[in-house]
Parts: sequence; structure tokens; C-alpha cells
Amino acid sequence: MSVKMEMDVSGVSRTPISVLPAAAEVKAMLKPDTGDRPRCASTPCSPIKSTVSGFQILHMDSNYLVGFTTGEELLKLAHKWSPNPEKTLITTPTTTTSTASEALPSSVPKPMDLGIHRASRIYKAKNRYYQPYDIPVVNGRRRRRMPSSGDPYLRPLSQGEGGPGRALHHGPLPLCLLKGKRAQSKSLDYLNLDKMSVKEPPADTEVLQFQLQHLTLRSERMFTRNKT
Amino acid sequence: MSYSCSSRRNSRDRQALRSPQVIILAVADTGVNSSNNINSQASLNANQSPTAAMKVKKGCNSTGVGVPATTEEELLGNTAITPEDVLGLQKITENYLCGPGQNVYSIDFTRFKIRDMETGTVLFEITKPPHTDKAGDKSAIDPNAGRFVRYQFTPAFLRLRQVGATVEFTVGDMPIENFRMIERHYFREKLLKSFDFEFGFCMPSSKNTCEHIYEFPPLSEDVMREMILHPYKTQSDSFYFVDNKLVMHNKADYSYSGGP
Repeated sequence: MSVKMEMDVSGVSRTPISVLPAAAEVKAMLKPDTGDRPRCASTPCSPIKSTVSGFQILHMDSNYLVGFTTGEELLKLAHKWSPNPEKTLITTPTTTTSTASEALPSSVPKPMDLGIHRASRIYKAKNRYYQPYDIPVVNGRRRRRMPSSGDPYLRPLSQGEGGPGRALHHGPLPLCLLKGKRAQSKSLDYLNLDKMSVKEPPADTEVLQFQLQHLTLRSERMFTRNKT
Repeated sequence: MSYSCSSRRNSRDRQALRSPQVIILAVADTGVNSSNNINSQASLNANQSPTAAMKVKKGCNSTGVGVPATTEEELLGNTAITPEDVLGLQKITENYLCGPGQNVYSIDFTRFKIRDMETGTVLFEITKPPHTDKAGDKSAIDPNAGRFVRYQFTPAFLRLRQVGATVEFTVGDMPIENFRMIERHYFREKLLKSFDFEFGFCMPSSKNTCEHIYEFPPLSEDVMREMILHPYKTQSDSFYFVDNKLVMHNKADYSYSGGP
């Protein structure tokens, strides 16, 4: 990523601050800290533990390992930040020529743009905190909302709920998960739910039972086919 | 080094029945182009009951031991998949060769640790806290999602020669005969190494701990550079067998660039 240096007349740098951390910062972030840990907003006295999809990471030596994630987390992130994750990021088992840049999507989805814009406002603002809502004035003084470590705006994009930066940080979806996603999404295609008319008259119970039985048998056949 | 956890039913009832088993140290050196080199080694935990020495079978590429080459498509048509079947695979599979439901022995990995054998440095340790599974959460995403893990190593990891992997797992109500894992690592379509570890017999409703030692193959600078430059092109299939029948299949991929 290239950064163009800009300066205004007063000599203050107008270079946009990158909100995507460098690899070294990522390493430091992923290292499970045993010292100071940010407190989550809901329980200020309890430290945030390093967990991945229900697993607890007890130790990670950042000299050798900087990240660990599960298929569940990858799918969650893909669902969250891309309307069609199959088309954006794919890891194929066989390639002839490839570079690390394959991991980057061709187009940046909107939420990431908003996230960057919002975060850049935070960094550029002079000691001001982002207030998503108006705080009523009390005694003639407008109070500021104090930031919480749970605020997504204040966390780097590659950490926590930071957004698609986190998805990119973990790399593209593996083929085995993409195939599973496709199989799952297609398994309901035969129902033609999108073509069902809401204006259809209500069917009687016997007809509904027959249809349900028919659908159940078809779904079992689909599952068997997918297994083989 | 794939490792997955699945939900465990009635874990509270089984808690009282589980007893930690011996820590068994096994060495597998099954280089793709290496000559016969079978090692077997066992160590006993002083506080646990003794066990027989663990044998390690040699596993290597198909041309080395006369195992015929197989393809994923052929194996998917089989009713049962054997160790010899997967030893003939020449590349990473695109699909899982068995479904999650075939883990009829309820084998559940609860802890995993890797360490550098030369220095003893613990590189990574992860555990699954009890009662963390929520019903319906996993099926909503993908039944295979829990069978895949991704590692982001630094280039320094490629310099390690021996890595010990300690696995703790629980088993269900049935005894497990001849529990065995074959793990095959590929970079793109090239088989880097095949590892073959035997866990042996596991008592029903038991918790077991086992350490396997990965002897990494010597890699040229060019290959290491390629592996670093192409994250997640290094992939592995871990096949688990009971009585020579495939019961679990986990996958993993690896980055060595030290970043995303």
C-alpha cells in the first residue's frame, strides 16, 4: 500500500493515517497479553480473554505464530462483511502463478469504507470522541461520552469487531468451506422460496402435511448426494 | 496440525469416569524421499499406569512403499476409507472424505500444544473450556467449519526441525481399537511430508494425552521462499482411523509470512 505525503501551509502533515496495522503491530496485537488487558465495557472488572470460536488460547509465541483461527470464525467474518463471500476471496488448492496479493479483494465493500472514514475522523479529531447520539445538556454543560474499550471505532480494524480488515487479516476462505457454503445454500433451492406467491390461498392441513413429507424426503436425498 | 473440537454430550456424567492416561511420546519420521527409518519410543508419566511402547509405522508417498496412487473422486465412492487409501492421495482433497457424523466414537480434542523440541519453547497452546458448546450454533454456520483451522506462522517457523504436538482428547462410551492419524502436508500440489501416528487403544469414556513429534523435512531456500510468499498454499489433511476405517477428517492451512 503506497502512501502519498501531503503537507498544508502550516507544515502540519495531512498524510492520511493508515488504520490497517502493519505486520509487526499485528503480531503484537495477537500476542496474548498477560499484563494490561483492556476491560470490556459490560464488565469493567473482568479482563478480556483471548478466545477464538469458543477455544481459549493459552499461549502464542509471536516469534513463531502470529495468528490462529477456525473455519467458523472465517465464515462468520465472510458472512458479515461480504454479500457474496464466494466471489470475493477464494483459496484454490491448485495454482500455477499466484502472489500474496490474491488475498486482497478487488473491490472494497462499503462497510470497510465507512470504518476507515470513521476511524480516520477519530484520529484527526482533536481530543474529541465520537458520539453516536446526543448527550443531553445538564446544567448548561454538554457532557462528552467517555470512550469504552468496547467501542469498535477505537479498536484497530484487524482486531475485535473492527470490520472486514479482520476478515482480510485472516486471509481468504479455504475451498473446503466455500464448497460447504455452496452446498448449504443450494440445498434449499428446490423449495423455490423466492418464487412462492404470498397471495396463494391457505392450503388445508392434509395438503400441507403431504408437501412437508415430500420436502423432507427430497432434503434427505440432497444430503445423501452431497455426502457422496 | 489440524485439531478440532466438537460438542460433547453428557460431559458432566462422563467427567467422573475420565482419568488422564499416560503421556506417550512417539516419533515419526516419514520423509517423502527418505529411506526406511522407523523409530519407536515411549515415556511414562510416573503418576500414571504404564503402557506399551507405541509403534510408529512408516508412511510415505505411494511410490516409496508401493501404495497405489488414489484420487479423491475414487475414495468418495468407497463405502469405507482405509489408511492405505489416503496414503495414495497425491494432493490436498477439495472435499471432506467423511462427514462429521462418522465420528461415532465421539472423539473430542480438548487441548492442543506445540513446542520446539530443541529448545522446549512452547509455541502455541489452546484449550476448549468445558460447556462452551451451544446447541445449534455450529450447524447454523457450516457443519464442516469446526473441522478447519488456520495457522499464521512467521518465517522463523520454517527453520524448526522438530516440533512436538501434544493432543488431549476424550472418547465416548465405546472402546477405541487401533486409533491412528495420518497427516499429509502439501505445498500446492506437492506432497511435503506424510506423518503417521498411532494412538493405540483408548479406554471408553477416557481422557487421553499424547505427544507426537513432527520431524520436518529439509526444505530448500527456494521452497521456503515460495511458501512464505504464498500464504495458505500450504495445506494439510488429517485423517483419523479406528480399526483402519476413517472416522474423522480435519483440514488446516498455513501461512508463513508472519502476517495476513
